[in-house]
Amino acid sequence: MTSRQFLLIVAIAQGVLLVALITLIVLNRWVRLRRSAAVNPRRIELDALMQRWALGQSGPDDVMQGLARLPVPLAIEALVTWSARVPGERWQELARGLENRWWARAVRANTRSARWWKRLECARFLSVAATTHDVGRVLRLLRDTHPAVQLAAATTLERIDSPVLVTAALEQLPFLGPTVQAYYASVLKRARPAVVRHLKQLFRRLDDPRLPRLIEFAGRLEEPVLREGFTTLGTHPEAEVRSQVARALGKFPHAESVAALAYLVHDEAWPVRAQATRSLGMIADQTTLSAVREALRDAEWWVRLRAGLALTRFGAAGRNALLEAEVGPHADARAMAGLILGLSSQALAEYAA
Amino acid sequence: MSALIHTTDVVILAYFLVLNTFYALLLVLAIPEIWAQTRLAEDEDFQRLMQSDALPPITILVPAYNESATIEASVTAILTLEYRNFEIVVVNDGSKDETLERLRHAFDLYEVPRTYPETIATQPLRAVYRSRTRTRLLVIDKENGGKADSLNAAINASRFPLVIAVDADTLIEPDALLRLTRPFLLGAKIAAVGGTVRVANGCTVTDGRVTDARVPRAFLPGIQVVEYLRAFLFGRLGWNRLGGSLVISGAFGLFRKDYLHAIGGYDVSSVVEDLDLVVRLHRHLQRHKIAYEITFIPDPVAWTEVPESIRILSRQRERWHRGLIAAMWQHKGMLFNPRYGRVGLIAMPFFTFGEMLAPLVEVLGYGITVVGLGYGVINTSFALLFLLVAWGYGMLLSIWAVVLEEASFRRYGRAGDLVRLILYAMLETFGYRQCTVWWRLRAFATVWKHTRRWGDMTRKGFSTP
Repeated sequence: MTSRQFLLIVAIAQGVLLVALITLIVLNRWVRLRRSAAVNPRRIELDALMQRWALGQSGPDDVMQGLARLPVPLAIEALVTWSARVPGERWQELARGLENRWWARAVRANTRSARWWKRLECARFLSVAATTHDVGRVLRLLRDTHPAVQLAAATTLERIDSPVLVTAALEQLPFLGPTVQAYYASVLKRARPAVVRHLKQLFRRLDDPRLPRLIEFAGRLEEPVLREGFTTLGTHPEAEVRSQVARALGKFPHAESVAALAYLVHDEAWPVRAQATRSLGMIADQTTLSAVREALRDAEWWVRLRAGLALTRFGAAGRNALLEAEVGPHADARAMAGLILGLSSQALAEYAA
Repeated sequence: MSALIHTTDVVILAYFLVLNTFYALLLVLAIPEIWAQTRLAEDEDFQRLMQSDALPPITILVPAYNESATIEASVTAILTLEYRNFEIVVVNDGSKDETLERLRHAFDLYEVPRTYPETIATQPLRAVYRSRTRTRLLVIDKENGGKADSLNAAINASRFPLVIAVDADTLIEPDALLRLTRPFLLGAKIAAVGGTVRVANGCTVTDGRVTDARVPRAFLPGIQVVEYLRAFLFGRLGWNRLGGSLVISGAFGLFRKDYLHAIGGYDVSSVVEDLDLVVRLHRHLQRHKIAYEITFIPDPVAWTEVPESIRILSRQRERWHRGLIAAMWQHKGMLFNPRYGRVGLIAMPFFTFGEMLAPLVEVLGYGITVVGLGYGVINTSFALLFLLVAWGYGMLLSIWAVVLEEASFRRYGRAGDLVRLILYAMLETFGYRQCTVWWRLRAFATVWKHTRRWGDMTRKGFSTP
């Protein structure tokens, strides 16, 4: 074959491919239009059925029939949309009813699918329609390799009260990225008793590298029974642990918290000092005013900023401390006090957030 | 002479073959990527995410220079984005018009003391303002220093761990921020995420939102719609699977702030600050052996107005190419350097030889063909056939971008728009492509001029669809 013949063949192949692609574009548009014309009325009908059922004007059977008439992804989409609008007990009734539907069984079977998007579909379905019989499936999905599947499965924790699932999620929590951690934390908050029980056990593992993340999460729960655990960890050799403890203790206005924070405000690591100062401001115990005032002369800018902001929460005494510092001998404290006193209440509120 | 022409011809043919094979590879890699991304985008329950406190807080950086005509509408549109926790830092870069006055009047600004350290050095600040009506808004007034300098000033003032640079004339879709955070939510080691930038010309814009996406009837912006689709839907998606693109659009990219601090922010001497930033980011992260991903996801969309005149378009393209040449030259040490992994071994060589040198090779090819035909070394019918294949291939790539758009997001709903898209994809090869080659070629002559300024763009504004 000569090079000219080769080029000719390539040119013809390109021409054919070009025509094929344009045909594909047009066909794709046509098929989609037809499909949406066929599905849309059924979707509208399901919405009406859901509406009637939500108002108590019909039973769940009509809804289940309406769901069966839709393609599976659209049925799941409808379930996800409506799950937030229907009260828990009624929704559980629907979830139990769906257990016996063929399409729901097929979706559940996808827990073991080799394709991640099938597992994701299953996880999304279970996140709104799981029952106590699904604990094993959810556990499997929580340990899935695809993060989107894990995330969808974590949402199920809001619906199923299972210590097994809570323990599994909590064990995983420290290994997740910060954003996913926060998402897990937001769903785990709702399973509080089991979470608190497990956290208390985890706090005893002092050399556990997950400790800082667990304390961060525990702090978000604001659960009084965890306070003692926090104060114990205030002397932990790891600065990151102490920093998280200092942050968490600000949410517990208690004499022991104040004592621990008064100790941490002199920590060798400045992030710990900054968090401790911030927390002292949140508690605003008058006995700690001198410690916060002292922090205003810290060598680290961030600690001084936190101290200045904390002083604004001590009322008149704090303000007087700032005014004194503004004309005092310490240059850094003077600058910071000037800065804080110049902030509007709105700016202060934003800093506190 | 004939031997020289023949050798050059063979080199150009080999270049053509290698480059187009690589494009074919990108095209193939883009298919599973867009499929996966579409799945994830469709399967997300955004309402649930909106209600959770998991979303990372974001600072939106808005550099503005002489934007008095659009600044109020742009900032208002950004303030109404569907996102729970974000702040906006607008930097007035010593505008000569009434940009600051417009902001002051529209958002009831009041001066506040600066409460943050200058982590990255910038031109002196004149004042910092907060708004009495919009608590999320911070406005910085500073001496003129260019776009990169303004972005650095905004980074200094930002409070949140993720920052996104947005041009003051870019319209972000309401759920775009929410979508951009998806890679962060999925827990990967993300350093930066880029979204799709689409052409706003011809679209209907209401209250700072594109309410009706149209393909413009005018040839020049219309052809740029196809260009943008090709660049974003198959170019950048393909790169996701090859170790990360070197480009995240400066008009719409989300970055981890700690990494930006680590590389000293935007380089004020750079011509195209976004490309330079991403290359330096790769360099820093690879050097320090930090596991990371710089990724692109297609569903978050920002709309931008593209040039409608040849003069402005040529300047824009020349500037872009000048930036590419400067960045490749500055970071030449990364080229074929295994220390930088796939970036050094794949991305840098592609951007150097496949993108930067492409206009030189193309013009050389045209020149050699003409000379060869003159000397009778090249057969006329063979040359024409080769040209047909080369142009046909370009056409196929553009049509493929339209296929990807149709198979995934289908933003252009009308049949007329689809027809226009196909038409522009087919016409792009004839004339427009050669023009862009010429504009990019001019960049080689002007690259040594160190100009630090804002990209020139005469805007019609979004109010006239």
